This record gives sequence, structure tokens and C-alpha cells, in this order.
Amino acid sequence: MNTDRPEMPSRREWLRLLAGVPLAAVAACSSKNPYSHITGGIAGANHKVGHLLRDGAAIPAPDEYMEREIVIAGAGVSGLSAARWLDRKGHNDILLLEMGERTGGNAVWGQNKASAYPWGAHYLPVPDAADEELAAFLQAAGVITGYRNGLPVFNEYHLCHDPEERLFIHGHWQEGLLPHFGVPGPDRQQIAGFMQHVAALKEEKGTDGKYAFSIPLDTSSADERWRILDTITFAQYLKERGYTSAYLLWYLNYCCKDDYGMGIEHTSAWAGLHYFAARRGRAANADHSSILTWPQGNGFLADALRAQCGNAEIKTGVLLYRVLPHLDYVELHCLMPDTGKSFGIRAKKVLLSSPRYVNKHLLAGDISNRISGQASYAPWVVANITFSSLPQGRGTALCWDNVIYGRDSVGYVYANHQSLTPPVGKGVITWYLPIQAGSDKDARMQVYKRSWNDWVKVIMEDLSIAHRDIHRFVENIDVWVWGHGMIQPVPGYIWGRERTAAMRPVNDRIFFAHSDLSGISIFEEAFHQGIRAAKELSGMS
Amino acid sequence: MDSTSGSQQQSLNRSHRLLLFSVFVIATCGLIYELVAGTMASYLLGDSVTQFSTVIGAYLFSMGIGSWLSGKVDGDLFRWFILIEILVGVVGGCSAPVMFLLFEHVTSFRVVLYAFVALTGILVGLEIPILMRIMNAGVEFRHLVARVFTFDYIGALLASLIFPLLLIPYLGLIRTSLVFGLFNVGVAVYILYSFRETVRYRRRMATLVAGGSLVLVAGFVFAERIMSYSETLAFQDKVIYSKSTPYQRIVLTRNNRELRLFLNGNLQFSSADEYRYHEALVHPAMQAVPAAARVLILGGGDGLAVRELLRYPALKSVTLVDLDPAMTQMFSNSEMLLQLNKRSLLSDKVHVVNTDAFNYVRTDSSLYDVIIVDFPDPSNYSIGKLYTVKFYEEVSRLLQERGIMVIQSTSPLVARRSFWCIAHSLEAVGFTTVPYHVYVPSFGEWGYVMAMKGHLWHPEGTLPDGLRYINRNVMKTMTSFPPDMAEVPTDINKLNNQVLVNYFEEEWAPYEH
Repeated sequence: MNTDRPEMPSRREWLRLLAGVPLAAVAACSSKNPYSHITGGIAGANHKVGHLLRDGAAIPAPDEYMEREIVIAGAGVSGLSAARWLDRKGHNDILLLEMGERTGGNAVWGQNKASAYPWGAHYLPVPDAADEELAAFLQAAGVITGYRNGLPVFNEYHLCHDPEERLFIHGHWQEGLLPHFGVPGPDRQQIAGFMQHVAALKEEKGTDGKYAFSIPLDTSSADERWRILDTITFAQYLKERGYTSAYLLWYLNYCCKDDYGMGIEHTSAWAGLHYFAARRGRAANADHSSILTWPQGNGFLADALRAQCGNAEIKTGVLLYRVLPHLDYVELHCLMPDTGKSFGIRAKKVLLSSPRYVNKHLLAGDISNRISGQASYAPWVVANITFSSLPQGRGTALCWDNVIYGRDSVGYVYANHQSLTPPVGKGVITWYLPIQAGSDKDARMQVYKRSWNDWVKVIMEDLSIAHRDIHRFVENIDVWVWGHGMIQPVPGYIWGRERTAAMRPVNDRIFFAHSDLSGISIFEEAFHQGIRAAKELSGMS
Repeated sequence: MDSTSGSQQQSLNRSHRLLLFSVFVIATCGLIYELVAGTMASYLLGDSVTQFSTVIGAYLFSMGIGSWLSGKVDGDLFRWFILIEILVGVVGGCSAPVMFLLFEHVTSFRVVLYAFVALTGILVGLEIPILMRIMNAGVEFRHLVARVFTFDYIGALLASLIFPLLLIPYLGLIRTSLVFGLFNVGVAVYILYSFRETVRYRRRMATLVAGGSLVLVAGFVFAERIMSYSETLAFQDKVIYSKSTPYQRIVLTRNNRELRLFLNGNLQFSSADEYRYHEALVHPAMQAVPAAARVLILGGGDGLAVRELLRYPALKSVTLVDLDPAMTQMFSNSEMLLQLNKRSLLSDKVHVVNTDAFNYVRTDSSLYDVIIVDFPDPSNYSIGKLYTVKFYEEVSRLLQERGIMVIQSTSPLVARRSFWCIAHSLEAVGFTTVPYHVYVPSFGEWGYVMAMKGHLWHPEGTLPDGLRYINRNVMKTMTSFPPDMAEVPTDINKLNNQVLVNYFEEEWAPYEH
């Protein structure tokens, strides 16, 4: 706008000026950065320490060594689960190493004045009653409070409170995530048809008597009839069966993004169906589709695992950078990035519960190739947003899980949802965005390059679709960039040979546990991977 | 006729038409301000016949003063007229927003109202006579009078039609008044730049115009906020106190007969009949545990239930848990409210805890003889959690074996399923229940549920003196439910289904305005 003022405004100019005053006021407001009042920054994401490994930086060799019975590297869910299991089996010399400052892996969490909140994984579906290991852990953690008629009774503080989910579609918040508001009849029929299809698949069993789809997935039927589905994409599978509804495909794409960090075009059909057909959870006081959640997300479960690790020693801020297998021991080189000091460990047995892309750099030669394979990872961006109030649109009130139709993001969860205290103004929502563009390395570099300001803009624009002027109510946004957010079950990954090869121990001294080795990044898989590897380590498998 | 005088005549005609158009605009504006003031007075003070009548009278009288004053005006008439236009625009235009903002903060609103009416009236009264004097040059008087008044009355007709049909429904009171203020200022600008006579002071007047329009435009942009700041329209009676706490909006209103408390716009009690509600809440339960020494109250920060409890001499201690310290402080400090709760919160026996009830019952380990649960209705999911089986399980731990708990349970007539859902949820935890209801005029038919650990309800104590509603007979009849409130099957309210909030929403929806 021209700010030079003429000596004397003509009549016409005066009129224009008068008419323009409201416009000028609006322009003045909008030219200013509307987000300048928002505080925050990029949190976590210690990828620089991690990249020391990748870049093979010259780290001095250790001159001091300690001797340990069992060393577990990586205190995510699989590592904690392994430590817990080994401790319970009476192993009393366990050292658990973690590169980050905190344990929990993808289940790490944070806290501010308004709430505790997750930085990653944030819920557990009511598990299958047949999963005794998981049930035992949950009972010890107070999540299962007892049994009634043979069914677990879940702690009602931990079951997701009502209302659980809503979807913003056609300018309206509808209840539930399956699109129905303003959805034409034929689309609804296809959606109902698909849900029936997967409900039937849930009960299907193969010639080996096992369920077609199960958790942990290695207990699924080996019947070729289903395993062959791992050779095609989910999109192909849906097309072949005549599922064409844009609303249904959006929903399935959303589900795959949510659990696998990629859409149906890239996800294996077996994995896509597993999402819907593997859960046969039952409870005395909840229905089969119920979920368990906490303000801090799965941080609650990770902390509970840690609390059940007994005498196992846990060291954080330690980067394991080399693993050298010897005939009767394993040599480990570790670095403490904070002090720059390194030390060595001679361990009888080692359990690597680190992801495959990390393991690649720890070991050398053929072993490195065998254990790393072709794993690809989805980068994720997670933001915790503290607000003073959340302007709502029409329809269902704020839920635990809130999704906006047709967006790249998979929506947000409301951290205060499980709180028993009436909300006192402030609250926190956790917003999730899987990065899908390009090859995963490019995508990762793109993600790392973007500034906090860029993310604030992306996040605010995404949320303002459903929450008008939300930025005015936002106080703080912390962003966490997960370069390797989760393993991607592309076709061939789950039932290809590489995955089983990567699980095989080295010299009966080095063992592997991580949800990467399942190909699906969920709590149950990580929990069972930890137990499987721990059993192998103690010779009980 | 030569060409020069012809063009002069033309320009005279043109300026004449221009001025007549101004008459039309200012006449419309003038009547709009009058209507705005009348409407405002009947909104805020009630009794619309009186308000309209006195506002119109005062306005016309002020116009008379204005007309009389116009006789004293001398000198540059254009200058006077432009100045008056700007003033009318600003004063008349700002009348509605300023009155809204001041209403809650001045002791006598009528002074403000009539000051605005008088000032606007005087300025409007000045307009037409001065304009007529400007137009007088070159026009025969009888034509002048005829034309000016024609346009004056047409403007008035237009205003009286568009005000109720278009302006109030689409713009609202505040924006209407501001828009017409801008029209007045517009007339000033029009005259200022259409007549050569104004050249000398154009620049100075232009500054005034800019200032005035800026104020009006700003008011227009922020009209929504002005409206939400002033909540007076939401209440029937005069707001005597209002405060926003982190938890809720507290509003007290008063009229000749009663004092009312609103939380987030929902009526909590009226001083005229709250005794019915609170006697029915407290005494049936206390009658069944006559020796009750320790009582817990959840909610009820107004101290009115405590007032009823303190009638029992055997009572040793009352723990009152209310989330909002502002509530309990208000009912411990204000002399007017202390009269209502008989200084109950100041009693030595009363221990006030400002925390949220769910966490309190989860962490408390005391045992109580009577527990009184007096939460707001389950109108949202966060309050709904305080009516779940999980909550009742936690409270159950705090209740003596022979103790009794009573829960305010919304209206069994309006929200029949909600009421019985609360009873059934208590039964699901293992309580035996005694549902009952009373009539509270400002609420309607109201329900409560008593809950006991297996024993029966025997109201055998001695009723304290001075009760105005509860007696033996009332206690006998209140447990009987006529068919339109009789028990209906419902689900159990749990944290993970919150059926009660859904019932409540459905059942109260037809009563929302």
C-alpha cells in the first residue's frame, strides 16, 4: 500500500480513503506474522549424535573395559521388554544402554503445565486374551485389574474415555472416523462391505489351524493363500476387489499412514489387512474395538516396563558404536557424547534392540549386510501444541482422536482427554504428520532442513481448516522430527526372506530384537520381539 | 438568459439537490438514533412501553432545544453544519456500544441513557434549521419548507421500516448505530468537498472526519467483542456481580424479589426458593443418620447445603470440596451472600478444600457418615466423569457402612433417562438407592438419589426447627413417582461410554434457546 500522502487529498481520494479504512486495518493485521506470539522450538530428535555412527566419525578406541554378563543396546519398548523378561528369569547382571537421555524409544513423552503428552506412540488396543505374556505385564502395571468370567477387567481410568474419535468432513465434526456425514449411499455401502470383509477375515484360519492374521504377526498362519498378499500393494488388492469409493480409500489410506507412515499405494496388502483383521481383543468391561490410552501416551507402558526391570542396570546417554564378535565374548565400544569419553565392554551375550538402520553401522562385513537388508523408514513430524482454548466447529465435541478429512496429517490426539479434572483453560494436543514424499532419504533430509517457523506455519494451516483462527489461542508449539519414525511394511518386507534372516543370532552371542524385525511398528510387536530375543539368548526358545 | 447565468442556475440546482439529499440522510440517521436508544432502554431496563415513550419524549424535547439553539448560531453556517454532522455521527454512532459497555459498571444507567438521548437530540435538532438557512438563498421560502420537510419525513419512514426489518436482524444494535454514525460523517465529507465556501477549513475538518470515522470503524470491527464483553442481554435481571475464573463465569443478578446465581449461564439457585432445593438435598439423608458427625460435600461452594447441615448439633465437621476458590471466597466474604447462607462457610466446623472432586475422592482416606454430591448437571464430558460408576466406586470407599450418600440428579420430568441413569449407575456399584423428587419453582420438578450400602432408608431423626419445606409428610410422598417420571431402563454411565451426557443433551435440547 502506498504510504506517501499527497499534500491535500482530493474529494475522490477522501472517499476512497474512507472506504478503504476497514480494508487497510485488515491488511495491516494480516501482513504481520500471525504466529509471532507462539513460543516453542524443535525438541528431541538427537539425530546429530546418531549421525556420528553413520558418518563413521573417528572415535578414539576405548582404553578401559568392563565385563558384563548381558548387555542390551536400546531402551525402547523391545529392549525394556527383553530386560524385564531376563530379569524375571533370574539373570542378575544385565546392563541396558540407551543413546538418548530417556528410555522409551518411540514411546517417549514430555510434560508442561497444561498436561503430560506423548512424542510418539500413544495407545494400545485392548489386547487378545490369548496373549498371556502381554496380559501378565498389563496386570502387573495395573492396566488389568482382575478377571471376570475369564475375561480381563481393564482399569477404567486407562480405557479411552468417551467421546473417542471424530472426523472433520464437509465442514462438520462427525462422530467416529469412518466417513458418513454427507457421504453418498453407494459409498456407504462400499464402506460397510469392506468392514464386513475384514470382520470375516478376522475369524479365518489357515490349513495349519492358525488365524490368517495375528499379533504378534509371526504367529499368523503360514498358508500361502494369505502370505501371497504380501507381494502386492494394498491399493492393488482393493482395486481387484472393486473397492473404488473415494471415501473408503481415503479412510484406508489414513489407517495405513497412521500405522505404517505411508499410504495404500506403498503398503503391502497383507499389512493393510492385518491392521483390520488381526485384533481379537476382548474385555469384561469394554468392547473389542476399545483402546487404552494415557495423557503421556505409551510412555505410560514404557515406564511400566522399566519399573518391572528389577535389578537390570540402565545407562542413558551412551552411544554404542561398534560390536565385535569374538569366539567366547562380544566386544562393545561405547561413547558418551556429552563428555566425549569412550569405554569398552566385554559381554558374554549381547541383545541389540536397536533399529536395523543403526545395527548396519555397528557390525561389519557380511553380518552387517544380513541384518540391515532393505528396511525403509517413514519420517514423522510430531508437534505438541499448548493452547488456551480450542475454537470448535459444528458437530461432535472435542474427542481423544481428532482427524481432518483429506489432509496429509493424520490429525491430533487430545492429551488432557483422560484427565479427571475439569479443563482449566489450557490444554495440549499432539499433532502427527507422516512424511511421504520422495525416497525416504530425500524425505528425511527435507524434514531436517525445515525450520521451526516452517513447521508452525504448516501446523497452523492444517488445523485452521477445522478450527478457525486457532493460532490466536495457541501459546506454544514444540516440534519433534523423527527421521526414522517407523519401519514401512512395503510389499515383500514381512514375508520376504530377509526379515527372518535378520532375526538370526550371530554365533549364539548376538541377538536381535526390534519391531523392525516384525515390519509393523506397534507396541505389541516390540514387546514380543523383546521376549523372543530374550528367550533365544537364555537358550529357552 | 445568457450562458453564464444558465450554468450558475444549474450549479445552484445541483447544490440544492445535494442539500436535499443530505436532509434525507440526516433525517434517517436521526430517527435511527432515537430507535436505537428506545430499543436499548427496553432491552436493558425492561418495560418497553415506558422506555419507548420516555425516550421518544426526551428525544423530541431535546430536538426542540436544538432548534432553539440554532437561532443563536451565527457566522459561517457551512462550518457549523459540518461540525454538527461530525458530532452527531460520533455521538449517535457510538451511543449503542458505549451504553452496552457502561451498563454493568455504572450505578444509575438511566443517567447515561438520557444523557445520550439529550445530546443526540440537541445535535439532531440543530441540523435541519441550519441546513434550511444555508438553502434559503435563492429559493422561495414556501418551496424550501415543503421540500425539506418532505425529505425529512421520507427519511423517517425509511428508518422506521428498515430498523426492525433489516438492521436489527442483520446488523444488530451496535453495528446499526455505528453504520449510521458513518453516514452522518459521510454527509459532512460530502458537503465539505462539494462547496467552495469550505476551502479555508477543509484540512482541519478533514482531520476531525478522519478521527471520527476511525472511532466508528474500529467500533464496527470490534462489535462482536463488545457484545461478548457485555453479557447483560443474556440475563433477565440486573447483573450485580460478574467474574470470570479459570473454571467458570460467575454471575449474580437481582431484582426486587430474588437473587440469582448463574454459573456459565446456568441457573444455580434463586434466593426465592433455594430453601426447597437445599432442604430436600440435606434433610432426608440426615434424618436417616441422626448421629452423623462427619459430612463430606462435593460441590456446593455457595454454602447453602452447609447452612442446612449446621442445624444438626451432633455434627462435628463438614468438609466442603469445591473446585473454584472464587466461589467459596465470594460466599465467605460478601455480606449479602453471607446473609443467604447464614455465614455457614465461616463456621469452625467447616473445612473448605478447593480442589477437583475426582482427585479428592481418589486420595482421601477418611470415612464420612453422610456424603452430599451437589455437582452441576452433566452437560459436558468433563462434568459427566463425575457421574460415572468409577467415581461412585471411589466415593463408596469414603462412606461409612451405615452411611448415606445423596446426589443431585437433574430433573426426572425433563430428563427422565438421565435421572434414572444416575440411579442405575449407583446400583451398578452395589448401592441400594432411594430416588426422590421435589418441586422447586425456578427449576421445576427436581430429582435426587440417595445411595446406601445395602441397608434401608429410615428417616427416624428429629427434624430441626425452622424448616420451611421438609416435614415428615413431604418425606413420605417425595419417593413416589407419577407415571410421567417413573423408572425407565437405561445404560450404566462409565468413563468409556459417557451415556449420561448423551441422554442429558438429548433430553434438555428442546429447552435450549
